[in-house]
Amino acid sequence: MRKHKESSHLLPFILGGVVLYFLSGMVDELRVYQGASIAVYVVAIASIILLTGYSGQVSLGHGALMAIGAYAAAVFRIEFNLPIVLCFVVAVLVAAIGGALLGAAAARLSGPYLAGTTLALAISLPSLANEFAVLGGEQGLLFDVGSAPLSLGKEFTQYKWFFWIAALAALTSMWLLQNILRSRYGRNWRASRGNEVAAQLAGINTARSKILAFTISAGIAGLAGALLSMTIGTVSPSAFPLNLSFSLLTGAVLSGLSTLSGAMIGAVVLVAIPEIAEVVAERIGSSENITTNLPGLLVSALLVLTVLFVPNGPVEQHHARKAKKAAKKKELNILTKPSMEGNT
Amino acid sequence: MKAMNRRKLISVSAVLAVASLAATAVPAQAAEVGVSSSVIKLGMTLPMTGAASLGYNKIPGAAKAYFDYLNANGGVNGRSIKLIVKDDRYVPTEAVAKTNELILKDKVMALLAPLGTANNRAVASAVNPAKRGVPVLFLNTGFSGFADLKKYPTHYMVLPSYIMEAKIMGKYIAENFAGKKIGLLYQDDDFGTDALAGFKTAGVNFTVKVAYASGSQGAAAAAGWITKFKAAEADVVILFGVSSATSAMLGVAAQLKYAPQWMLGSVGGDATTIKLTGVPAGVLYNAVGFSSVPATTDMKDEYIKLFSDIYAKAVPGSAFDLNVLLGMNTAFMTAQALKAAGTNPTRKSLMAAIDSKGATFANSALVPLGYSATSHVGLTGYWVGKYSPTGDLSPVGGTYVTYTTDSGAGPVVKSTYVRPAMPAKGLPN
Repeated sequence: MRKHKESSHLLPFILGGVVLYFLSGMVDELRVYQGASIAVYVVAIASIILLTGYSGQVSLGHGALMAIGAYAAAVFRIEFNLPIVLCFVVAVLVAAIGGALLGAAAARLSGPYLAGTTLALAISLPSLANEFAVLGGEQGLLFDVGSAPLSLGKEFTQYKWFFWIAALAALTSMWLLQNILRSRYGRNWRASRGNEVAAQLAGINTARSKILAFTISAGIAGLAGALLSMTIGTVSPSAFPLNLSFSLLTGAVLSGLSTLSGAMIGAVVLVAIPEIAEVVAERIGSSENITTNLPGLLVSALLVLTVLFVPNGPVEQHHARKAKKAAKKKELNILTKPSMEGNT
Repeated sequence: MKAMNRRKLISVSAVLAVASLAATAVPAQAAEVGVSSSVIKLGMTLPMTGAASLGYNKIPGAAKAYFDYLNANGGVNGRSIKLIVKDDRYVPTEAVAKTNELILKDKVMALLAPLGTANNRAVASAVNPAKRGVPVLFLNTGFSGFADLKKYPTHYMVLPSYIMEAKIMGKYIAENFAGKKIGLLYQDDDFGTDALAGFKTAGVNFTVKVAYASGSQGAAAAAGWITKFKAAEADVVILFGVSSATSAMLGVAAQLKYAPQWMLGSVGGDATTIKLTGVPAGVLYNAVGFSSVPATTDMKDEYIKLFSDIYAKAVPGSAFDLNVLLGMNTAFMTAQALKAAGTNPTRKSLMAAIDSKGATFANSALVPLGYSATSHVGLTGYWVGKYSPTGDLSPVGGTYVTYTTDSGAGPVVKSTYVRPAMPAKGLPN
């Protein structure tokens, strides 16, 4: 990327990786697996935040883009026996192509029309797999990333391997997105989101900018899809239900749509809620009805509360409060200077 | 501002990572995972909510009804059985996540009757119960592939395979519908592939075959299927699909007054479930059906009588249907397997018990079980029946005539199997 000092910020991500590396050695297998799921959701939610929060386009169909990536990775793994790293690269590229096509249509649509189009995609696309024998129909395809290299030791579990791959992918894509968002493209997206006419007057090709946002977001979603399939070992239409697209959007709203760094919050919530629900259900009686319906209820309640009280997400809210405090301080500083006109 | 954002990202990430991955101490292990001095824990995943849950969501209640009855009568060698149920909404991702919880958090001894071919494949591939030595007892799917001992060494089937069912249907067709034009509706996946393989072995020639993709079945699709069967002038139409496909087909056929000779596969052939969707019972009249267990209305059958009595007490007001019967039957077989596994059962001794004694387990089915040291095949056949004007399946001629076969090229033969008598009070002995 660009050379100057502001842009790369690699160090924090490396530090994050080191922390996760040590953590993965300290916790039990279930937590490691959940950690891998969180990493997958972080990637998926980040792709939505990029699209919706920064470029201002709504997508209800990210599950479909994830499916594209997952199928691409699995097909290349099975048909050409590609190394696993290349499978993930293929997932990104193929999903990005899909995203570019969708983005071209999306650039002409906005608001509810775009939501409707992407929704239709989420419903219809995964079941297309039933039409082509190479995609394995309803049963889907196996997607086996293989076990960890022997050099990591015999005690190294499959889930730890999943976690390492997913965490590395999450850190890499977050780092990349962070830098893209700080680049000219990121600024263009924010400008077009804020006021499209003003952005056009400033010389930004808003249509092209939107398509680019869709392409990159789709590529990241494709990566998330391939990672998701890795954690369940298979790719099938039923792994990408409409519900997945909705959950991810919920996760993105909980994270705060305009802060990439919040993606972690939504991801943790999506993984933790079912467990919390279970504990609660056990406390208040073990009716199956309660256990099965409580997670949905909790997520919905959390969504409503978020929209009501922290519409921009907890991270943004925190920043806003800090900024307000800082502004007040500044104001006070200024006030103490005699030249300022007095108010209040 | 930007620098602060970054720092925030790191700290938020770190805090949440620590929180989410918070270590839980691994307790000192007893003799076997999931077996304490007083309780044996088993786990089940299946769709409890969502479109696919229709009918199936009664299975846990049915299994628990039997286990509660068993526990109230002393349990298995003094241990009570606790069944932990998780809803996977018929989504592979969730099936894997929930199975992980069952094995790693709840630490169950064995998985019981996990449902669905795609879900079981995903779980086998990602969770790999075989590698962990976890028994997967009595799968709720008839896909013949799960009997492959090399691929699935710890899986035990219980339902007859779809291949067996198609072969037995083929024999019935040859004997009763020779020269007629036969049509087939099947699901476009392993379920259907199994069926086609069985029909091919049986030498059935179809005038028309209609495939549907799982999830696509509905009234609109059914109207399209009927057009194809009508155009081919099929005399007999076999519905080899899930309940929702069968129900959609019969419902639309009733409206369009399309009435060929119907033949229903066992998967989608439960009359209670079909009638629940609003299909008039009369449509089912005279359709040919297949089952391995007695009719659920047959109160002269000692198993049906006892199971329905236990269920009526445990879940008052809920109809005793095929899903309930199969759920209780599975629980009953599990109890016998645990009993046979010795006073201190382990995962290994449990599987060894099924390998050596499983074929003789008492259960309601009218066909033999195929368990042995070299086979994890469950039930191996069906009886043929016809639906009454009220939509209940009962045997042709009033007595159950059962046929048995395998998933390969073996012949379909009339079974001489004599079902073990129900042990006293329905408890394992």
